[in-house]
Amino acid sequence: MLKLFSLFLLVTGGSFAQSPLLGLLSEELHRNFQVLSRKADPPAYYIAYAVTDQETANVSATLGVITGNDRRKMRVLDVTVRVGTPALDNYHTIRGEMGHFTAGIPIALDDSPDAIKLKLWSETDRCYRLAAQRLINIRTNKEVRVADKEDSHDFSREQPEKFAAEAPRLLFDDAAWAARMRKLSAPFAKYPSILNSGLAVTAQREVKYLVNTEGTRVSHGQPFSRVTIQAQAKASDGMDLATFDAFTAADPANLPKDAEIAAAVDKVASDLNQLLDAPLVDPFVGPAILSGRAAGVFFHEIFGHRVEGHRLKDESDGQTFAKSVGSPVLPEFISVTFDPTLRQAAGEDLNGFYAFDDEGVKARRVTLVDGGILKTFLMSRTPVPGFESSNGHGRRQPGAEVVARQSNLLVESTKQVPEARLKEMLLEEIKRQNKPYGFYFQEITGGFTNTGRRGIQAFKVIPLVVYRVYADGKQELVRGADIVGTPLASFNKIIATGQKLEVFNGYCGAESGNVPVSAVSPSILVSELEVQKKESSRDRPPLLSPPVISTGASK
Amino acid sequence: MRGLVLLIAGALALGAQNNAATEKEQGPILRALAEELDRSRTLQLAGVETPYFIEYSLDDLHGFAAVASHGAIISSNATRLRLPRVQVRVGDYGFDNTNYIFSDFFGRIGGARLPLEDDYGVLRHHYWLLTDRAFKGAVEAIARKRSALRNVTVTEEVNDYAKAKPEALVQDLRPISMREGTWTSLARELSALFCHYPALTGSQVEVESSFSNTYYLNTEGTRVRYPDDLFTVRIRAGAQAPDGMPVRDSMGVHARTPGAIPPQPALERLVRELASNLTSLLTAPAGEDYSGPVLVEEAASPQLFAQLIGANLGLTRKPVAEPGRTPPVPSSELEGRMGARILPDWMDIVDDPTQGEYRGHQLLGYFPIDLEGVVPRPLTVIEKGSVKNFLLTRQPVRGFEGSNGRARLPGAFGAKAPVFSNLFVKARETKSAQELKKNLLDMVTQRGKPYGLIIRKLDFPTMATPDELRRLSAASGQRGGATRLTATPMLVFRVYPDGKEELVRGMRFRGLNVRSLRDIIAASDTDNIFDFIGNGSPLPPAGVAGYVSGHTVVAPSVLFEDLELDRIEEDWPKLPVVPAPALASCK
Repeated sequence: MLKLFSLFLLVTGGSFAQSPLLGLLSEELHRNFQVLSRKADPPAYYIAYAVTDQETANVSATLGVITGNDRRKMRVLDVTVRVGTPALDNYHTIRGEMGHFTAGIPIALDDSPDAIKLKLWSETDRCYRLAAQRLINIRTNKEVRVADKEDSHDFSREQPEKFAAEAPRLLFDDAAWAARMRKLSAPFAKYPSILNSGLAVTAQREVKYLVNTEGTRVSHGQPFSRVTIQAQAKASDGMDLATFDAFTAADPANLPKDAEIAAAVDKVASDLNQLLDAPLVDPFVGPAILSGRAAGVFFHEIFGHRVEGHRLKDESDGQTFAKSVGSPVLPEFISVTFDPTLRQAAGEDLNGFYAFDDEGVKARRVTLVDGGILKTFLMSRTPVPGFESSNGHGRRQPGAEVVARQSNLLVESTKQVPEARLKEMLLEEIKRQNKPYGFYFQEITGGFTNTGRRGIQAFKVIPLVVYRVYADGKQELVRGADIVGTPLASFNKIIATGQKLEVFNGYCGAESGNVPVSAVSPSILVSELEVQKKESSRDRPPLLSPPVISTGASK
Repeated sequence: MRGLVLLIAGALALGAQNNAATEKEQGPILRALAEELDRSRTLQLAGVETPYFIEYSLDDLHGFAAVASHGAIISSNATRLRLPRVQVRVGDYGFDNTNYIFSDFFGRIGGARLPLEDDYGVLRHHYWLLTDRAFKGAVEAIARKRSALRNVTVTEEVNDYAKAKPEALVQDLRPISMREGTWTSLARELSALFCHYPALTGSQVEVESSFSNTYYLNTEGTRVRYPDDLFTVRIRAGAQAPDGMPVRDSMGVHARTPGAIPPQPALERLVRELASNLTSLLTAPAGEDYSGPVLVEEAASPQLFAQLIGANLGLTRKPVAEPGRTPPVPSSELEGRMGARILPDWMDIVDDPTQGEYRGHQLLGYFPIDLEGVVPRPLTVIEKGSVKNFLLTRQPVRGFEGSNGRARLPGAFGAKAPVFSNLFVKARETKSAQELKKNLLDMVTQRGKPYGLIIRKLDFPTMATPDELRRLSAASGQRGGATRLTATPMLVFRVYPDGKEELVRGMRFRGLNVRSLRDIIAASDTDNIFDFIGNGSPLPPAGVAGYVSGHTVVAPSVLFEDLELDRIEEDWPKLPVVPAPALASCK
């Protein structure tokens, strides 16, 4: 019978072939859990080991010379120990804090049993101690403070998962990329006003392993690569200016060819050069179009962060949407979905793709807003009043504790018009509101959001390339604009969207560190957007003129 | 045309000072930096401020580090970095923008990196921007310093920068051979030895190699380029004793050339020594409070002198501060004690960076020229037991102006920090090691004590976490000792009247400071040599990163008439509930 069993496994092959690391993690997990669940006081009811294995290659260059060229390999361990019960455990939020136990410690790069087990054991002990201590504090707190208005549990019930697949090997030709980076970064030398500039390419292979005491055993991974182009300058009045562009592809072989990158370098450089002479904005409220990429960031900041489930549990959070499920939160022609199972959109690879989240829950498409109505929240295994289960959005950077985070944000619209018509509608709106002009935000670099109760419930998106659009249709590049606003007000002001989808790939930084995300959106027309003057340094540009530049390495 | 003119001007300036190397031998880095430096003299702001002094540094690093534990590699990474530093001074040597609490804040260029390839134009471009920022910062700092001085009274007038003669020291670049594979295997193989010591549940071996070309130029005409390499094998291990007390130890083997790192069999012996000492410590009984004669031998003696003398040889200077906001500046215990006798009059101590080797042992503290371009010479710091000299940089301090070439680390408030190099502790009257031990036992019997103490190793550099150091310092202060920390003794032996020795653990010094040195009554005729890497702190952490300095201390074993040690009393963490995993392999 035993023989048949092993044959059976071989035949079905890809469904679950265990990696040696998963085996080691499992063995040590169960050895520790045996004791901690029975002999420890308080006993542990759940333990999980997560290992993130990353191999990265980087090449960066400026003005025709290499500034960096390295490869790094690392494996990081995160341990989760839960004591108490799923209803009340050591991760319970008190006074706005969820507790931080894991440390993201480096472990052996090869599957060496002694080295790995010793680290797993000592980390488990350390995390268990902290968990036990915090549980005692929580129990005291529970007795003393007013009972939470709507108690929900601290840990959800989920299906165990079994899956094994690894990312393909990292194929990256350092020398070839170095030659390309030198060549492609050199043209910035033609612009003496550009103070700093650079190109960088990163290729990464990441594999994640997770085992837990519920029986989950998964290993999954994806490759990632990116080329970034950046440039900075200083206007004569001291304002710092920057332009940026990036290309993302899962496989470095699919990154653009030289011609396309060179064209982007050219645009980054000439946009920046023009910005130096562009007029400054004045504070303004009025109609604006945000390009697809700009709109994506807009939605990520003003909407995405407010639907991360755990914020609704925390009394120090503004809980903007806590009571809005079932009510309209966006115009009725807009729907918003988060889909980590989507690898591509609008012809581009998406940064927020994953097969399993960082708690081993299977990734899935989640409709957040349907025809303007809020349906649910992004959930990790931390339940929220009214929402008892995870929807596969528990994520973290190694070393941080998991919270609900965004993945691939997709904006869909049933009120789409061709781009040319959208511009016409902007002009119509400018005239209707009797404004001298409106705005067109072409390129942005991300932003940040404050969702806490203490500060103003506001957001800020940081534009890079912005045009003033006059009632007669003429466009003028301007500098110094920041978009600000409060989320509830801004949402209702979306009038219509374009048809063409654009992709913004980036990283989102929040409580559980940096995670890769994307936002896919058509351009949007907003009837009212508030523009504020950017903070500016009063530092002068350099006093001496640039020294002689000779491009190309000379030895 | 303009470029050409600058080139000639630069060449002329160099030609005047430097007859050692031709312009071609200097290479694009020296050339680019020299020319941008020269052009930067013309910087001007507010029609008033122009630089009276500018210096450029560059550390061109090729590094590699491998970390292994129990036969497995945890990381193995190469690093290639070029780190620039620029300092601009405005005003004059008497009064400038430094020695003010915000001197470091304005114009800071922290984290700047240079391209890794030698392109003349790109190098100048980067130094152009760095110099611009440093200059503007200097102008802002001096303005604020003048305004701060209107509201405070400065008790004495000390100049801000001492003059020094220009130097030229341009050494050839040597080839770099990283040998990553060899170092990685070494780390792995040494770490695997711990499988024979299962009681040590945590252990790690780190092998680091760093090839660095150091460049320094200033507007006085100094031109410097020399190799500054460092190779390290570091071993760490630890576990919890049965009563919960964490027991840890580390050992560093360092060299300035890869060939001077001992061969693998010798390193394996060192690993085994550390591992078996630690294993013995785990089961050793806890020590008891003690006051009496103590013999300080082997590594412990140079470690002690590093802390009590070495760390006190630099004088600090209080920066000009805003009224009511004087920052606490750590000061030397020897400050103001020039000529005071702190050791027996048959002892001398010399700081000598010019020596590269002593009795076949490569000295870690060797360096040819300091960070300000001043060439050091041997310096007698203690003569006939009395304080004779301090280590000085170009920063004047109360009572002293003029560098003796000891600027080895970046310092605070625009200055550099002086630290020792190779410290030779010499005794003109000595006894053999056996005689010393006999003296100890005689005193023990005389005073009717049950035993005496021999200390052979201190936790220096320290394995203690910052938390533990804080607790140690607070506890020491409470018991009336100095809050200034000294390293915990690691290998402490009780020695009974019959000569038998017994290892004890968990002891610390009580009230150990410079004054304790007066209780030295005898020294051995042997040399104990100890190398370590420091960062300017009196108690540096093991494996310190960032800007570091190498040191060697050579000292005889010494007998103290009276020292106090007590037992560390703390609530130790509980032992893990789950026993350690069984180790699978042991080749």
